[in-house]
Amino acid sequence: MTDAMTATAPTAATTTEKSVLSVKDLNVEFSGFKALKGVNLEVYDGEIVTIIGPNGAGKSTLLDAIVSKSPVASGKVMYQGKNITNKNPYEIARMGIGRKFQNPNVYNELTVFDNILLALKGAHGIFASMRAKLTKAKKGKIYDVLERTGLLDQAFEEVSSLSHGQKQWVEIAMVLAQDPSVVLLDEPTAGMTTEETYATGEIIKSIAKGQSIVVIEHDMEFVKQIAERIVVLHQGEVLAEGSVQEVQSNPKVIEVYLGREAIDAAT
Amino acid sequence: MSNVVMGYKQSTFPKRLAAIAGIALLIFIILPFVVGSFQLSLVSKLLLFGTLAVSLDLVWGFTGILSFAHGIFFTLGGYAVAYYLKLNLSAANNTYGGELPDFMVWNGLEVLPWFIAPLKYFPIAFLAMIGVPALFAFITGSFIFRSKVSGVYITIITLALSSALTTFFISQQAYTGGTNGITDVSKLSFFGTDIPPVGLYFIILAYTVFVLALSWWLTQSNFGLILRSINENENRIAFLGYDVAQYKIFIWTLSAALAGVAGGLFVPLNRFISPVYLAVAFGTQVVIWVAIGGRGTIVGPLAAAILLGQVQNSAEKVTQDWNLIVGVLLLVVVLFIPNGLMSLVPKQLSLSNLSKPKPLPGAAATPVVPEGMTAEAKKETVQRSS
Repeated sequence: MTDAMTATAPTAATTTEKSVLSVKDLNVEFSGFKALKGVNLEVYDGEIVTIIGPNGAGKSTLLDAIVSKSPVASGKVMYQGKNITNKNPYEIARMGIGRKFQNPNVYNELTVFDNILLALKGAHGIFASMRAKLTKAKKGKIYDVLERTGLLDQAFEEVSSLSHGQKQWVEIAMVLAQDPSVVLLDEPTAGMTTEETYATGEIIKSIAKGQSIVVIEHDMEFVKQIAERIVVLHQGEVLAEGSVQEVQSNPKVIEVYLGREAIDAAT
Repeated sequence: MSNVVMGYKQSTFPKRLAAIAGIALLIFIILPFVVGSFQLSLVSKLLLFGTLAVSLDLVWGFTGILSFAHGIFFTLGGYAVAYYLKLNLSAANNTYGGELPDFMVWNGLEVLPWFIAPLKYFPIAFLAMIGVPALFAFITGSFIFRSKVSGVYITIITLALSSALTTFFISQQAYTGGTNGITDVSKLSFFGTDIPPVGLYFIILAYTVFVLALSWWLTQSNFGLILRSINENENRIAFLGYDVAQYKIFIWTLSAALAGVAGGLFVPLNRFISPVYLAVAFGTQVVIWVAIGGRGTIVGPLAAAILLGQVQNSAEKVTQDWNLIVGVLLLVVVLFIPNGLMSLVPKQLSLSNLSKPKPLPGAAATPVVPEGMTAEAKKETVQRSS
């Protein structure tokens, strides 16, 4: 428990940076079951935070609580100094938080292009959407996003015809098109081949130049590829926080999550 | 990037479609001069039922909200016009003379109720025809769509609304004419001259064209793309910054207004309105037109309403059990053509496919799923619990 206490306090180096997203003493309950118990998390400008933890640790729930997909029982979610706890999901999205879900949550009946068009940042009101024209600037932005995610050749294919890995990229591209300040990615490499996973890592690193990213991941190779700071969740609590080395050498983490496998990998 | 051929949406009506639409319109323009008065009146009625079905298509076909309550909006618009026509009967034509409608006299009313009296004036009746169904839809829609109710529960609410309103209209006999509704209304006139059936037909035809054009314009825009996305997965689109409830309330209200006008035009044609059109049976009929015509096709529901109406008319001459014939037809369509009659029409001729982009020339064929991915995917499903 003492490890958790010390780990949640930001280190001296990070306090000088600007916090974009701040989760304070967050509690989430599902009919009596405490999914998150007093979680604290700071996300600083332009950094990649990787969240790891065993199944049921509350990783997805944490992202759900940030975007109001799951109701917050107590605690606060602050974004750019504003309290966004339990705000409407669409308002949170408009403010600049983009979310990619665990299983590709994309529009299978629409083309890749239309999926990105939907996600594009801009006026999302009814009358604006009726008059909206597909301007050169919009097309440029869509092709730019598709190029970054390697989907240009599939632009006019129906998403249903794509592979699982490509669908994951479509959703990453949708999040990029939103132009968010904070990108929340829930297992972006699930179901991908080794090459696809590596390519995804490079995409994520390229995003992080302008945006803050929170990634949930299981694949330790991938975590090593992208991670700057790792937060370990366990049974709804923050167990440890730090660099890959720090987390891997933390005895508590080894005990509850990484196990023998991780020790083998580290040596 | 320059090698990418833009195939996105076509901002103008494609030529081939315009030609077909032109021919269809021409047929409907010539029609009143070649058919008898019975067919003219029947086609007029079916065009209105068709526009009602198109209005439901916007809500159900595009947005995915299955409603059995569309008869309500049609009927509310109808009553607005029925009051107007009833109150404008000349004293000589009114059963009891004076201005009080016959059914009010029978039920012991002595003064025209204040909330019905203004409907004597055309502009007010006209506004009520659009505004009353729209307001009713806006209020019910705000409750339904702002709450967490979704899917089949919304459909159940529409069934309940339909039954409740039917009972209410029947119970308020002094004000609504009860089960009989409002009968023996005057003809629609224009500066003292009665509009002949052909005139009424052309007003109805113009309105039908308007509803089709509006629906096409709405659904091929970004707005239509958003409606379709709400239909496929309404939870996702909220996380892209769209207020889903606002979109649903809007299309629900707009659809109600369109249905209300159809109901309003139905009264001078039919010469009466009654709670029959409020009831679930009629609401179901509208759902059947959309299902048979093809959801999300705009033109399909209109075509289905006209075709089924003609089938019913012919069947009625042959047998009392015409419902059986219509029922068998419905079964055949649902079993063998689940996407409706419009799915038999080549895609390039279908209105609903206008906003779908053409594939890129030389675009890659179906991507090969990498080996081992299925195993990974399986692993993924196991890990879903976190």
